[in-house]
Amino acid sequence: MIVQALHEIQHRCRYLPEAELRALAQTLAVPLHRVYEVASFYPHYRLAPPATVEVKVCRDMACHLRGSAPLRRALTAQANEIGGAPPQVAVGGVSCLGQCDRAPAVAINDQVYRGKTEAELRALVRLAAANEPLPPQHADRAPLGWKIDPYDGKPRYEALRRFIEGRDADGIINALKAADLRGMGGAGFRTHLKWSAVRAAPGNVKYVVCNADESEPGTFKDRELLRRTPYLAIEGIVLAGLVTGATKGYVYVRHEYEQEIEVLRAALAEAEAQGVCGANVLGSGSAFSVEIFVSPGGYIQGEETALLEAMEDRRGEPRNKPPFPTLSGLFGKPTVINNVETLAWVPGIVLRGGEWYSKQGVNGAAGLRFVSISGDVNAPGVYEVPFGQTVRELIFQTAGGMRDGQQLKAIASSGPSGGFIPARIARALLPEKFAKERLTPDATAYDVLDLPLDLNTVAALGGMLGAAFVVYGDRADMVEHALNCVEFYRNESCGKCVPCRMGSEKLVELLVDLRAGKLQRTELAVVGELAEAMQITSICGLGQVAPNPITSVLKYFPEELDKYLAGERSPAPSGTPLRGTRT
Amino acid sequence: MNGPDDLVQTTIDGQLLTLPRAMAELAQLPALALTIDGTKVEVPRVSISFDPKGKVVPRVTTIYDAAVTVGVKIPILCHREYMNPVAVCRVCSVQVGYENRPAEWRLAPACYRPAEAGMVVATHHTNDRVRSAVKVLTELLMTDHPTPCAKHAAHGDCELEVLAADLAVPAPRLPRAPARRPLDTTSLVIAVDHNACILCDRCIRGCNDIRDNQVIGRMGKGYQARIAFDLNKPMGDSSCVACGECMVSCPTGALTSRTPVDTKWKEEKTAHEPLSADALAAHPLFAGVAHPFLRWNESAVVRRHFKKGEVICREGDFGSTAFYIEHGKVSIFIKAPFKHVKVRKDRGAGDKVNWGPLGLIRRFTTSLVKRDEDQRGEESEARYLAIDAPVALAYDDPVAELDAGEIFGEMTCMSFYPRSATVQATQDCTVLEILRNVLYILQRSKASRAQLEEKYRRRAIANHLRTVPIFASLLKNEAQFRAFVDYLRDRVDLLRVNPGDVIFRQGDPADSLYLVRIGFVKVTQSQPGGQHVLAYVGPGKYFGEIGLMAHLPELQGLAPPGVRSATCSALDHVDLVRVKAADFQHILERFPGVREHLAGVAVETLKQDETARRQVEANPLGDFLGQGLMNAQSLLVLDLERCTRCDECTKACADSHGGVTRLIREGLRFDKYLVTTSCRSCLDPYCMVGCPVGSIRRRNSREIIIEDWCIGCGKCAENCPYGNINMHPFKTDELAPDPANPARMLPVVRQKATTCDLCYELDGQPSCVYACPHDAAHRMSGKTLLSRVQQGRSGETRQDYEAPAAAEGALRPQG
Repeated sequence: MIVQALHEIQHRCRYLPEAELRALAQTLAVPLHRVYEVASFYPHYRLAPPATVEVKVCRDMACHLRGSAPLRRALTAQANEIGGAPPQVAVGGVSCLGQCDRAPAVAINDQVYRGKTEAELRALVRLAAANEPLPPQHADRAPLGWKIDPYDGKPRYEALRRFIEGRDADGIINALKAADLRGMGGAGFRTHLKWSAVRAAPGNVKYVVCNADESEPGTFKDRELLRRTPYLAIEGIVLAGLVTGATKGYVYVRHEYEQEIEVLRAALAEAEAQGVCGANVLGSGSAFSVEIFVSPGGYIQGEETALLEAMEDRRGEPRNKPPFPTLSGLFGKPTVINNVETLAWVPGIVLRGGEWYSKQGVNGAAGLRFVSISGDVNAPGVYEVPFGQTVRELIFQTAGGMRDGQQLKAIASSGPSGGFIPARIARALLPEKFAKERLTPDATAYDVLDLPLDLNTVAALGGMLGAAFVVYGDRADMVEHALNCVEFYRNESCGKCVPCRMGSEKLVELLVDLRAGKLQRTELAVVGELAEAMQITSICGLGQVAPNPITSVLKYFPEELDKYLAGERSPAPSGTPLRGTRT
Repeated sequence: MNGPDDLVQTTIDGQLLTLPRAMAELAQLPALALTIDGTKVEVPRVSISFDPKGKVVPRVTTIYDAAVTVGVKIPILCHREYMNPVAVCRVCSVQVGYENRPAEWRLAPACYRPAEAGMVVATHHTNDRVRSAVKVLTELLMTDHPTPCAKHAAHGDCELEVLAADLAVPAPRLPRAPARRPLDTTSLVIAVDHNACILCDRCIRGCNDIRDNQVIGRMGKGYQARIAFDLNKPMGDSSCVACGECMVSCPTGALTSRTPVDTKWKEEKTAHEPLSADALAAHPLFAGVAHPFLRWNESAVVRRHFKKGEVICREGDFGSTAFYIEHGKVSIFIKAPFKHVKVRKDRGAGDKVNWGPLGLIRRFTTSLVKRDEDQRGEESEARYLAIDAPVALAYDDPVAELDAGEIFGEMTCMSFYPRSATVQATQDCTVLEILRNVLYILQRSKASRAQLEEKYRRRAIANHLRTVPIFASLLKNEAQFRAFVDYLRDRVDLLRVNPGDVIFRQGDPADSLYLVRIGFVKVTQSQPGGQHVLAYVGPGKYFGEIGLMAHLPELQGLAPPGVRSATCSALDHVDLVRVKAADFQHILERFPGVREHLAGVAVETLKQDETARRQVEANPLGDFLGQGLMNAQSLLVLDLERCTRCDECTKACADSHGGVTRLIREGLRFDKYLVTTSCRSCLDPYCMVGCPVGSIRRRNSREIIIEDWCIGCGKCAENCPYGNINMHPFKTDELAPDPANPARMLPVVRQKATTCDLCYELDGQPSCVYACPHDAAHRMSGKTLLSRVQQGRSGETRQDYEAPAAAEGALRPQG
């Protein structure tokens, strides 16, 4: 109840006054530190009274590429002009708001705006400062004729009905197996294994959690799926529940997706009205209800065990594993945790068969996926693409080609997590096996435009394939973007384990020193050791991948370091001035 | 479902504990073998530790636990054996592989990862990748660490700085944190330096899990995270009670002591020397106790020197310390006269009855008499008394000697009971006087415990067995008794049970007999209407025999064989000796005297329990239960409609008992009856709990009696919830100077506890009832009182006080 109660207090008071926290601790009969550790952990909560206008400018990847840093300075200048004591307008940074296709994204008093010019934003800030209501920016909700939707925008829950008629749980698990449906949140775990494990787990209390806490920079495809086809995720959740023997489902959704939450609530109400979820699912005699849990915020909540901790009213810190959630998840019970897209594919696969799905892959890969493309391309957005599609097809056919006629410099095929992959990779830098299979004997480099985007091939190259695909043109300063990504991890680290808490901060400090011309080349040697220690000793994925942006730059873009290294060249004035490492 | 049904009792390393069934089953599996740094290790599946409060902490055996057993040192910062592992510092990272499989790419935290059969573990000692990672982690922490921190500067034992030195971590190559967090010196006891904090979580677990003070938590997120008190208050402004647990838990100088613990001993006059933490650490008894704990408790142990003849402690005194004899010998004895409070008819009046002014009053006198003047049947069999020391005192000559290496006063120290005996130096000697928190730790440190247990097995066990009444028959033949002790010596298990813990439950399989060394055990039975206390079992007594004997022909049909017929749980800190079923059967066969005695007592006990159970079953009234009347076997009840408040009953009682009345004409009212303050012979005699010499007890016929070795400490009088035990002063033969006029000698007055004896030693006719001129005073059981009241309310005519059994069936709850 702590998380929900804090939501309520903040909604009422705009922040969390101490007296309210004391009263809450008393009401819930918990120690004060229990309330405070939660209240101080989540970025959504304010412990001090806010300014009249709180402006939050997205700092990460695509927004950074599209000049969110100078925009933030400009809005800060405006705040200074408006003045006031205490200042009427406060401008700060915020982690990825999931609006990378229409960067830069800015939240004014929690109202998210995307694709606005500086002038438009200044006008909105003035409006808010005058205590005028802010106009909401509506997003399109119409279905787009995706293959994932067997109902063409008109939910009929036929897959669920079919399951209830036949009660063939094995059939569904086999279909998922035939489809080789992978976890679409980025980890790529096989869905049928997860469902089978929970189904086989002992106990009669089990849960299904739909992970809609899409927070990785460059990732926004679940946002579209939630807004355009919310019923697919709902049907997937109910199917997961009935197949595994769970009786309760949750959608854990990031609080910034306000419009999506609204759509989801409406879809859920409609599903309940139709009897799709509730005490007696479509007359089957099985009970399965679905509830929405709005996240108190933070990228780390997307980590499945951190998400469970938040749902259990604690600090959203990842758990040590094992045990895995399939055995001991929410409240210690077996729990299926699947990404929105993973669950949304289930109705189609149930209705059309696993082979239908797996056959859609190209270049030897299986299946379809949604990808969020952002950065230096002409048509950023969410696309339904086959696994195995090449980088060339994705950028030049799907996403309309490079913006401003730039040359491709690098891609980030899993947001910041996988680091940067350069447009061309010298043979010496390729894994031997990969080079042997993909290069002719006389070729000196591999053209990444030829790279088929499927999990195995990208992994063979030493990269990661996620739902975010960020494209960097030739104007990008890779050292600066590495710092930008590492700062993201530092900002979002939960602080539980030493390698991530300390390592992510020290990486940022090192890169800041590097960009300030304070480092010798030899002093960079420590980065490799630090990165390895973080990768092999961190509790969760965040700490394990946090060094990837900088290690990939050290590996693939060593020449970009030269201009910063002390004693090699004079530090060049770079596009974006340094930001402080601490706020 | 984690109901109580899923919890079972298991013994691990001599500690009785309740575990979830799955873990208990795991604990029964054979040891598993794994390889650590090339060495094969065999470890049990479940290991236990004790937290500083003595709570048992069981856990699935981890790689770290396994490494400890073979002496492979894996560094830890965020872990203690008695804490639930959180695995946040990661310096215990090791590489894990399995036979015939490549090692896992990521490292595993040894403190968290369960040991598995066939595991191949490489630590930083043998694996470069592990060593590099552990060094980097240490370097990361050292980068922001104020070096030396307060702890290292004062004692050179900051765990982080020591680790960095051990691993030869280079001078930090990473940028150092520019921002210094301010020192928090608001607490008068503890200094907080957030800069030295490594967020290991140990103080948090110490404060919240171990002490349950619930003050410390983590605040903030990521690199900005730190510990916070309450709603992020300075420590001095928070609800911190300065227990010091956080400070003792802290590996670095983040939480340090501003002032060491100050005991009052400094002001005392006896020759003593407080022992420094270093001196304690060097003392074999304290080997294995954590150094920071010893430092925090530096003056909680003092060494005292006693000259021959000096008294170390006196019976009846309250105390909170135990004594460990370092050198020399002491004698331990009970000084109080072994006499009992005798009531007899006034010799002056001969055997004739005197007529008082208001009724029939007999004249009596109360005095202390020697035991041989008065044999009281069953209790005369007690030949040895259990006391709070590893010796028993012979009834006929209650003096024993204790030697170097022995500890006494544990029960007083742990559970604040009065001292059971007087201890005097028989030669010049040195003893360590130990405060409670140190004794806690001592009893739970494997090394110290092993020393004390060895002493018990070699010496104290024989003494202990002498005090157990069921073995009394063996004492007639010393050679036979020695054979018996030798048989049991290495076969028994020594168990420690924490307050409140269940030893076994009704319905569990009966697998052993328990002898109580220290503390009190509550025996309860689930009956209609809830759990009912059958008995309290104290030092020198035993329990658990019924289930082991129910198959004997003597007990046929009285109890289910092989199954526990009651639940036994620890009331306070209990030390038990467990005799396994097989050994017990062997004793029954080899020593027929034991069997005969045991069977006799068991049959009587079972029959009494059955009677009590029927009484309880027949009385369902909640409000009646609320006054505790249900438990009463013999109430003095005054019918207020008849009573004229003439007080003859009280006078008669006082007259019968040497001028000290054992009843007070006040008390709870139940309907028209006044239930006077007079021993009720409760079925649930709480007065027995805590008697340091076990002299208050229940007869087999269920009255409460006070044996003549009562030392007059008053614990039973304090315990009785109804105020029904009085302390009766008697002059003794001893003389002492009059404080007002030191030249004059006065007889020493000693107290004895007295309680209503139902005038047992007279003719069994209570004087109070006999004396009432108005037929208002009556003795009856709670059950009878209830039936009287109910009959009165339903308008039935008065019947004889001994309500016929038929009336009981008519009882119905009223209203």
